[in-house]
Amino acid sequence: MFARLRVFFRFQESGLLLVILALGVLLTVFAGKVRTPVFERAADGMRTRVFTTDANGERIPLTVEKNKFLNAQNLAQLAKDTSFIAVMAVGMAVVIIAGGIDLTVGAIYALASVVGALVLHRYGAEGLATTSSPVQGILLGAGACLGVACLCGLFTGGLIVTLGVHPFIITLGGMAIFRGIAFVITKGQSVGAFPVAFRDFVRFEVGDGLSFVPLMSMVVVLIVGWIFLSRLAAGRRVYAVGGNELAARFSGIRVERVKLGVYLISGLCAGIAALLSLGYYGAATSGDGQGYELNVIAAAVVGGASLTGGRGSALGVVLGALIIQMISSGIVILGIDQNYSQIIIGSVVIAAVVLDHLNTWLARRRLTATAH
Amino acid sequence: MSAYLEFRKITKRFPGVLALDDVSFTVERGTCHALIGENGAGKSTLGKILAGVYTADSGQIQLEGRVIAPVSPLAARELGVAMVHQELAFCPNLSVAENLCLGDLPRRAGFVDRAALRARARTMLATVGADLDPDTLIGTLSTGREQLVQIAAAVGTGAQIIVMDEPTSSLSAGETAELFRLIRTLKARGLTLIYVSHRMEELFALCDHITVLRDGRHIATEPIPATQPTRVVSQMIGRELRAHAPAHLARELGPVRLEVKNLSSAGAFNEINLNVRAGEIVGVAGIVGAGRSELVQAIFGLDPAVSGHILVDDQTLPLGSIEHALTAGLGLVPEDRKRQGLILGLNCRENTALAALPLLTRLGFVRRKAESALASKYAQRLRVKTPSLETLTAGLSGGNQQKIALAKWLARDCDVLLIDEPTRGVDVGAKAEIYQLLDELACEGKALLVVSSELPELIGLCRRIIVLRAGHIAGEVARAAFSEATLMQLMAGVPDAA
Repeated sequence: MFARLRVFFRFQESGLLLVILALGVLLTVFAGKVRTPVFERAADGMRTRVFTTDANGERIPLTVEKNKFLNAQNLAQLAKDTSFIAVMAVGMAVVIIAGGIDLTVGAIYALASVVGALVLHRYGAEGLATTSSPVQGILLGAGACLGVACLCGLFTGGLIVTLGVHPFIITLGGMAIFRGIAFVITKGQSVGAFPVAFRDFVRFEVGDGLSFVPLMSMVVVLIVGWIFLSRLAAGRRVYAVGGNELAARFSGIRVERVKLGVYLISGLCAGIAALLSLGYYGAATSGDGQGYELNVIAAAVVGGASLTGGRGSALGVVLGALIIQMISSGIVILGIDQNYSQIIIGSVVIAAVVLDHLNTWLARRRLTATAH
Repeated sequence: MSAYLEFRKITKRFPGVLALDDVSFTVERGTCHALIGENGAGKSTLGKILAGVYTADSGQIQLEGRVIAPVSPLAARELGVAMVHQELAFCPNLSVAENLCLGDLPRRAGFVDRAALRARARTMLATVGADLDPDTLIGTLSTGREQLVQIAAAVGTGAQIIVMDEPTSSLSAGETAELFRLIRTLKARGLTLIYVSHRMEELFALCDHITVLRDGRHIATEPIPATQPTRVVSQMIGRELRAHAPAHLARELGPVRLEVKNLSSAGAFNEINLNVRAGEIVGVAGIVGAGRSELVQAIFGLDPAVSGHILVDDQTLPLGSIEHALTAGLGLVPEDRKRQGLILGLNCRENTALAALPLLTRLGFVRRKAESALASKYAQRLRVKTPSLETLTAGLSGGNQQKIALAKWLARDCDVLLIDEPTRGVDVGAKAEIYQLLDELACEGKALLVVSSELPELIGLCRRIIVLRAGHIAGEVARAAFSEATLMQLMAGVPDAA
């Protein structure tokens, strides 16, 4: 029993799983109950309320008592909210493992959203383009959204490599530039009215309100990210460059190419998140994703990516994103004043880093103990 | 009467190793006490325990009969114990004076009192006879000078015991002599020195007692006059070392593998011509700053501003391109393994496979089985001592780290190896193993260009030695004419006495 536990604890991510479990239990216990109306899905897919008659023979809506946290709808909501951050966090993890930092993700998210939105709008109900099938428009919109995001990543990566300036400075500037461009091309207006099919696709739900597409996108990004980091030679180079750039160069690794690559990946991930949000919310403005970079960095750091580079995993940061999101939604569920949420999340980031240090220390002690 | 300083049953564990195992011995006041042992023998660890960098798992230290247990370097300082490190102990961006007084900056109304700061620094520097401007930035000092400042800091704050960890490993001959004079002066003043080193000559010239550690255990503590270097070496390694002529010398040389023509790089070296043939080990000697490392790095494509020609197997190599150097079969084992050679946060397997990654990749995926097989093959061949191939290289001793840095290029199967300081900071046993390996590689027909600061190493290993002085080739010496005196004269530019 203990041996098995020990094997479990050797995984870096086991601590995060424990935290998630503990958070889940805490939220379940303290969330309290809520009465929600019962819905029924008719043959045409419409959701309608279910009614019943009470003792007096009056028709009243049927309700059930549910745990505020532990119910299907809330969990589905949590999964959806996590997906957006987690997708970007995987990209951020790659950058951080390579020893960099990317503050542009929120701005790329906004710029890619509005560019994608402008294209989708053309093919929507109010658009000028006329086409028989919405697929063409959706593909063009998605292409524009992801393409712009990749270009943004290449732009920051290229500047970092050619100028040799610290990525913090370049991405700080890039953040303002990209959001500025997003503002200029939309004049600050919200862009909506996309092809209906796109929205229907992304909002496609299974079970009790679980948005399938964002969740699956997150899983796919997680798996691809995990394979990239742990199985591909390119991923190994990312760890090498973040661990010791000079030694990586001395080993014949093209450090510039690796750096360019990681910002491209981060940009692409921000683009994927932007595309999901387009479908889910059906509109975009230049103000979207404000402050996302901090949530994403927080998720990566809570998930065990080391800001000094060379350490971190895709699974870790996705779990990190889940923790951040659980805390955000926990604050709502527990009815804590929204204004405290920033304070709490900030504290969690710091606590996570402290715990990580503690865990490293414990691991070292364990090694010492088992060596003899 | 009890001893001045006594170690009693000191035990310390690190991940995977028992660094110190029940070590007990005593040190007399006012002596210079040598601590010697192979890398990983525990000598640095013991010094660090005394200086409060580490704490012992069990056992105790007694100073003048009182048990002391320094829990931090600061606590050790208060007990009168200071350590002079090889690693950066100072803030390079601050001045000598600021660094010396960093723990207790003289203040007036909250502002740093610059006059008092300078005066105090001067007093401290004077205690070690150092003639240094207190306003110099630490980062601009040579290693030797910086060490002097460290000693000044130790003596100036009233240290009675100074632990020196490999103090001469990056000092020039002149700086070493200066340091020895200072150590003798300190000893005359009644200070006690714990001198950790690999260099036998130094210990015998300088120290009064010698303690030999092996694999974390105490082997012997003897007065220097009562022992000899050969005895100490056999105590260290537990077996007799045999000196032998490398086997590759008896072999026929193959064709020229590496040829360098008129290679120049502004400020580093000028008009260098050399060649290395298959099966040959060519040495590169020179004092620090002669351009040795710069030369091998330029051959490897790390210097974009180089001019001239490099030919590998008669094919011209595009200059300044590591990729072309790699494709041509070149490999470079750099001088500073921690900074340039290894990625300490990656494990032995990953470090070994790093340069060979393109050969281990299928469709972008690392072939894990092939990678593990390759890593374990070279770990075995080089006799790397590690709990497992998945152990981080940060946790290995210097000798084993160096072996991994070498294994990286063997795994890539390079034909032309540029090796910069093959055994710096490596213990005697591992040194012998590395020499053996280099000999085997030459016998296999590889071409080796070896840079080293240790002349006996080059003399033992090479067929020819090229001597660099101030970026120029000062001369080339064939094996028959090898002697430290000849080489030294060429290195230093002393006109030939004969």
